[in-house]
Amino acid sequence: MGKFHLTYLLVVCLIWSVQSAVDVEIQNKNVDRTIDLTSQLVKISYKITLEHSAKKNLNSYSFLIPKNERKSLAYISIRDSSKKELKSTEETNADGALFLVNLPANAPTQILLVETVFTKSLLPYPTEIQQSEKQLVRYFGNAYFYSQFKTLSQKTTIQLSSKNVESYTSVKPSSQSDSTITYGPYENIAALSTQPITVHFENHSPFLTVTRLERVIEVSHWGNIAVEETIDMVHSGAKLKGSFSRYDYQKDGRSGQASVKSYKTILPASATGVYYRDTNGNISTSAMRVHKDSVELDLRPRFPLFGGWKTHYTIGYNVPSFEYLFHTNENYLLKMRLVDHIYDDMVIDEIVVKIILPEGSTNIKLITPYPVTRLSDSLHYTYLDTFGRPVIQFTKNNLVENHIHEFNLKYNFPKIVMIQEPLLIVGFLYILFLCVIIWMRLDFSITKEKEAHPHKE
Amino acid sequence: MEATRYMSPINPTVFPYLTTVLLAIGTFFTAWFFVFEVSRPKKGGKDSVIFKELLLSLFAALFLGFGVLFLLLSIGIYV
Repeated sequence: MGKFHLTYLLVVCLIWSVQSAVDVEIQNKNVDRTIDLTSQLVKISYKITLEHSAKKNLNSYSFLIPKNERKSLAYISIRDSSKKELKSTEETNADGALFLVNLPANAPTQILLVETVFTKSLLPYPTEIQQSEKQLVRYFGNAYFYSQFKTLSQKTTIQLSSKNVESYTSVKPSSQSDSTITYGPYENIAALSTQPITVHFENHSPFLTVTRLERVIEVSHWGNIAVEETIDMVHSGAKLKGSFSRYDYQKDGRSGQASVKSYKTILPASATGVYYRDTNGNISTSAMRVHKDSVELDLRPRFPLFGGWKTHYTIGYNVPSFEYLFHTNENYLLKMRLVDHIYDDMVIDEIVVKIILPEGSTNIKLITPYPVTRLSDSLHYTYLDTFGRPVIQFTKNNLVENHIHEFNLKYNFPKIVMIQEPLLIVGFLYILFLCVIIWMRLDFSITKEKEAHPHKE
Repeated sequence: MEATRYMSPINPTVFPYLTTVLLAIGTFFTAWFFVFEVSRPKKGGKDSVIFKELLLSLFAALFLGFGVLFLLLSIGIYV
């Protein structure tokens, strides 16, 4: 045991020493940062040119996210210059969250493309507005690229949803033209330096948050996959102050700019039997358009959504099994999207995915494109079930559009089990007929017949 | 080991036709069974009568059973 501990300590020391050695000599030669604030999300894309000061080969890099922003980080992807995705491992230290990547090419100068998406980072200010007022939001950021390494040259471009900017922090040289604010170029900024900036601007893009999404995928081996999504949605922008006037809303086009009247949901091209309903029943104010590569649903909730207002509804559709289900003999592979499009630039706080497999499925193996929390498996009982259908459940928090990826679910299913369902009905009917046969042989008459009536031919 | 796309053993477009045909045949056997039951002599029947009853009801149950299954499938209850 002692030996093991010593080795462990050595390995830790080694890793630590390698890391601290790397820290000093890597430099960010040039950083181009674009902060996209046109929607309710904060999408930041970086183009980082790395350089080794001693012209040695670079083989790893760590990308830093400040501690207070880590919680709102929904998505991160780090790519090399050929746009190939690099696998990153996360570590936390005193400066923030570190995303470590191994660089594929061993060259002293390299280019990294990083994309990050933050949710809940645009805060409405004022937090409450009246029906006719504009929605203003604030973005809190850093004028400098936050990094563990020295940055030689950098420039930041902020794209806004409108040219109506109330205020922005000036860090010379910085300028605004139309709906773009430029910070920089700044030269020779030391590692871990921060210069807080605030941008206060008008943003009328829909501020919708799906607080809970339950996605149920029911697989039937009779050739159908049924998908049902139950959605709890809230308008997460500036809250509505005072009363809502339907008259003003209808009369004045400028009234209720911050409200959400309708939005588009895109379903798979093969979706049929689409329904959109809530607890009251069908919501008729929706339109469906079938395109070549998708089905577009124009959903209009029963009432316009103002700040702080909520809605709850269900959307369901069927897709044919050959689109998503594959097999070799009795080994099956279900390949479906873990989460699908609900509206553009969507934010999902919590998703629960339930996959209902046919009765008799065994050896179930789930492979997800990103880590999820697996919930305990359960059984689901519906028509013609005896011992229940296996249900695979998992959950994940803080999802955005970039999370639309496919999961793989492998399972075994003996084909002969399919015949069980019709045989159940056949058996039930046969028992009914047998009852009739027995019934006809019983004698319920009170008086006994002396002799059989002569049967007339 | 190339995975192929999974198709239903029976093409879903024929579900409604199968429903109609199977239920029609099933109803025919059911009717025959009941007509046979009520016209059967009460006492002193032959042994072969019970076999005919069982056979008729078996066919009725089989056709009705599969007919009901495809009825469920064609109206969108994918069991």
